[in-house]
Amino acid sequence: MQRATAPYFLILPSFVLAAAIILWPLKEIVSLSLHDVNRFGMLRDFVGLEHFRVLFADPDFIAATWRTLIWTVCVVLGTLIVSVPIALILNEDFYGRGIARILIMLPWAISLSMTAVVWRWALNGESGMLNSALRDLGLINSNIQWLAEASTAFPMQILIGILVSMPFTVTIFLGGLSSVPDDLYEAAATEGAGRWDQFRLITLPLLRPFINIAFVLNTIYVFNSFPIIWVTTQGGPANSTHILVTYLYELGFRLGRLGDAAAVSLIMFVILLVFTLIYVRLAMREEKA
Amino acid sequence: MMNSKLKRSILFWLFLSPIVVVILFPYAVMTITSFKSATEVLNPTWWPEELHWQNFSEMWQTSGIASALANSLYVSALSTLLTIAVSIPAAYALSRYQFAGRNAYRQFLLVSQMLSPIVLVIGLFRLVANVGMIDNLNVLVIIYTGFNIAFCVWMLQSYFSTIPRDLEEAAWMEGANRWRTLRSVFLPLAVPAMVVTAIFTFINAWNEFVIALTMLRKEENYTLPIRVLSLVAGRYTVDWHYVMAAAFVASVPVAILFAWLQRYLVRGLSIGAVK
Repeated sequence: MQRATAPYFLILPSFVLAAAIILWPLKEIVSLSLHDVNRFGMLRDFVGLEHFRVLFADPDFIAATWRTLIWTVCVVLGTLIVSVPIALILNEDFYGRGIARILIMLPWAISLSMTAVVWRWALNGESGMLNSALRDLGLINSNIQWLAEASTAFPMQILIGILVSMPFTVTIFLGGLSSVPDDLYEAAATEGAGRWDQFRLITLPLLRPFINIAFVLNTIYVFNSFPIIWVTTQGGPANSTHILVTYLYELGFRLGRLGDAAAVSLIMFVILLVFTLIYVRLAMREEKA
Repeated sequence: MMNSKLKRSILFWLFLSPIVVVILFPYAVMTITSFKSATEVLNPTWWPEELHWQNFSEMWQTSGIASALANSLYVSALSTLLTIAVSIPAAYALSRYQFAGRNAYRQFLLVSQMLSPIVLVIGLFRLVANVGMIDNLNVLVIIYTGFNIAFCVWMLQSYFSTIPRDLEEAAWMEGANRWRTLRSVFLPLAVPAMVVTAIFTFINAWNEFVIALTMLRKEENYTLPIRVLSLVAGRYTVDWHYVMAAAFVASVPVAILFAWLQRYLVRGLSIGAVK
């Protein structure tokens, strides 16, 4: 094997496989979104942007888009706000730190669909243990039907979203904190800087690139997140908890509107591409710095 | 006077305790429910009167979880092997060669990491349906492999970059060729990284949901997440104690594996982020 061609041979199998799994379906989606399709996926006439026009006239799609925005913003910001202090604590030396790390990482270890199934049971209106726990604590008097209404179901879904996004985010921050040299703090302490000043003037600026990266990656993951909402409410009741991914699934596999579903996929693809470009720019700035 | 580490520990645990309680709550519910009798489940007390171990054996016989376990093992093991087999050479190339297109390839991997299966599921379904391969577990193997390559190459490359080049260069000096050096110097040093990456790939495949939900129609082909969901969704009466026992069996082994390995993930991700 010659030196010049060797690396290409080495990357070829992985490239072919990954490209086939990504580019080929993408081509299918583009052609579905531009044709009239029956529910078995047979292509009929070319209709141009008709599916997109249908979507933008569909109040459920518009509502799902807004809800996706609320979902993504609440989960991502909530995760970041909770994760920074947790990472700061887990980076310190204290008794039981190993156990604390494992407990905080636990939601990452258990599949999202299992966590969601368990929550669906815990939130059960009649026999769910959240109601009984809250009653025992004297916080509520009568059972709440958590999943029967969007006004209680959606905030709970956001809470679950925050809990399962936290481990990954804390992990990124721990990686960032481990690169902060200790003597910086010692120097600051001899200059008379208090704990808060140390955090504000040293930790936060050094953590900023990691916060940026966690922000963008979480935005992408949360935007794409399907199991929590699908397993707990399947977008219901009456389409009131759909986000784009669950609405896409409902359109494609429940209602048989494959063309419309493909159009939603493409819209999501474009949004994700924008997020990715932001991420690449941030990551490259990091590499230069 | 209390020593300062003890004081700090108490303070930190006080701060962490609310979040730990919320994290543990669903898993405590899962564990407790899986040991309750059918009558106690509907009457939500915290502690069961007695531990109903027979829930597990009854669930095992009625829920079809044994075949789901076998399917999940088959799909996860095979796709892990395939992913690792194609990712090792790619990661080696990225960490040891400078070549035109190296950055383009890294960015391609990054983009493929960003696209979750759900965005492509309509297209994947149509492709698979067109060749009549719905309900074929090997299709899942191929799709999982495609989606895991980016993560795997990324992790392996970040570990490979920490293996010092000097060792390989020393072997070349002694007249060993590239292949020989690879086999007797590089690969033995890279084994731990490969094992860790393989296990994370396995866990990803084990937990995958949306592709399995879409591609598997016959009950005997279900993987674990789909099997457990099928015990809940679209039923008038749900035997929650069996469902929770099934969720327990499906998640605890993997959770233990993960807890044991999470520090390697912290290291791999942070090296990957810097290099």
